[in-house]
Amino acid sequence: MQIKSCGMTDVGLQREGNEDSFSVEDRFGLYMVADGMGGHLAGEVASRVAVEMINKSFSKWSEQVVPLDEIFGFSDESLSREGNYILGSIRLANRVIYEMACDYEQYNGMGTTIVSLLVASGLIVAANVGDSRMYLVRDKRIERLSKDHTIVAEHAEMGVMTEEEAARSPLRHILTRSLGSSENVDAEVFEITPSSEDRFILCSDGLTDLATDEEILHLALKETDPQRLCRRLIDLALERGAHDNTTVVTVFLGEVEKKMEASFGRLGVVVADALNGASRIKRKLGL
Amino acid sequence: MAKLILAFNSQVIREYPLTRESMTMGRQEDNSIVIDNLAVSAYHAKIDKVGGEYILTDLQSTNGTFVNDEKVVSHKLSHGDNVVIGKHVILFVATEEEKLEAEEKEKRLPLDRTMLLDTAKQRELLAKQKVAPPTVKLPEKVGVISFIDDSGLGEIKLTKKLTKIGKAETSEIKLSGLLMGATAVTISRRPSGYVISFAGGRTKLKVNGSVVKDNVPLSDFDTVELGSYKFQFYQKEVKSA
Repeated sequence: MQIKSCGMTDVGLQREGNEDSFSVEDRFGLYMVADGMGGHLAGEVASRVAVEMINKSFSKWSEQVVPLDEIFGFSDESLSREGNYILGSIRLANRVIYEMACDYEQYNGMGTTIVSLLVASGLIVAANVGDSRMYLVRDKRIERLSKDHTIVAEHAEMGVMTEEEAARSPLRHILTRSLGSSENVDAEVFEITPSSEDRFILCSDGLTDLATDEEILHLALKETDPQRLCRRLIDLALERGAHDNTTVVTVFLGEVEKKMEASFGRLGVVVADALNGASRIKRKLGL
Repeated sequence: MAKLILAFNSQVIREYPLTRESMTMGRQEDNSIVIDNLAVSAYHAKIDKVGGEYILTDLQSTNGTFVNDEKVVSHKLSHGDNVVIGKHVILFVATEEEKLEAEEKEKRLPLDRTMLLDTAKQRELLAKQKVAPPTVKLPEKVGVISFIDDSGLGEIKLTKKLTKIGKAETSEIKLSGLLMGATAVTISRRPSGYVISFAGGRTKLKVNGSVVKDNVPLSDFDTVELGSYKFQFYQKEVKSA
């Protein structure tokens, strides 16, 4: 499978430091964006540690094909092996950041969001904690593959607030989960199968605060390479005042082959349809 | 210090300084502000101090919480806000300092920094007050496919995030057939719901009678055909662990 990817970050127009981190690792198909918080460089440290820890543990576990009972924390039976490696890596990063925050005064209260994309053979794993998002653009439509962990998103899910109210609420930046704030964390993990020409966009809230899903879709359909799309999305945030750090990672898939193991031609299909019909009749007769 | 003025029928009943990080309002006696009236829920609403701002949150009360005649779930209080709970009115009064500060902050984009809800503190507080957390868990739903052909496969719960259906031994749901793909179809659970995707093989996938070559979201009671197999999809509530 052909993958083209790009990552970019911009400090924005109002912040002095950049607390976002990102990672683009085509070798193991792992892509991440993290948005750190906490003063005096602590946010920057938290987001960097998250990205590096996850890269390290995921690559180690997947290279050695580590059994699932040896990863960090209990494995989740609803997930694939790769999904569990991601889940375990996020838990591990959380614990490391949490302990750093407890042990060192200058890191007290630091934390970070994380959103990660894994492109494996025949499998896509999307995971997140916090409000950094992942979008999938497929068949000219945009879809979120992440869940915001904010008070307002939870209110919206409960149906006591509409999506629009949630997007405008002054509480939209208050997270209910992050890496580093407690000893254990639950990541949101989704698994899907890849399709030809899938486009993934991972970003920090610096972008999603200033651009709607439709605007992101519009640019994602217009731009043909991941680098230009990154640039355009960051420019959009800058044009609108960029009050926060803005980070974007884009991943474009090429042709994804759907396996047609049965290598019959046209005639074969006819024969096979007939066979299919025959087996149906046989089953009906209880043979 | 900011304060709240509780009034009923235009009569001031009492003033409450906002001394604590979090104050609750309701009918039960262990609230910071007790309002003994049947229109008021046991634990009706609360006000939290978050980074110098006061945030009012309705605790899923029966009759709702209103600020300046608008129903709110959560609301950042500003000087002069009228909070209506049942027939009682609570006036929020900020100090001069806070008013100035708020104006300053407004200029610098309020609350634009990402913050973390201090859940430990919140949980502690809630435990003390024996109130159910305001974020009530939604009943978890799980997708089920129910075979309505003569294969005898019956109902299968989709417990995986990604369910592979096909001929391969590693499939979660194994189906036979000469033209069945090793993985013919996958069903994934996404933030937006369940989606079915065609994955390979020469057996056609049909949802509600139309051929699907890529993906299509599944709704309750959609009928899916895969060769001679036929099943219906729906979602079932499960008790969350």
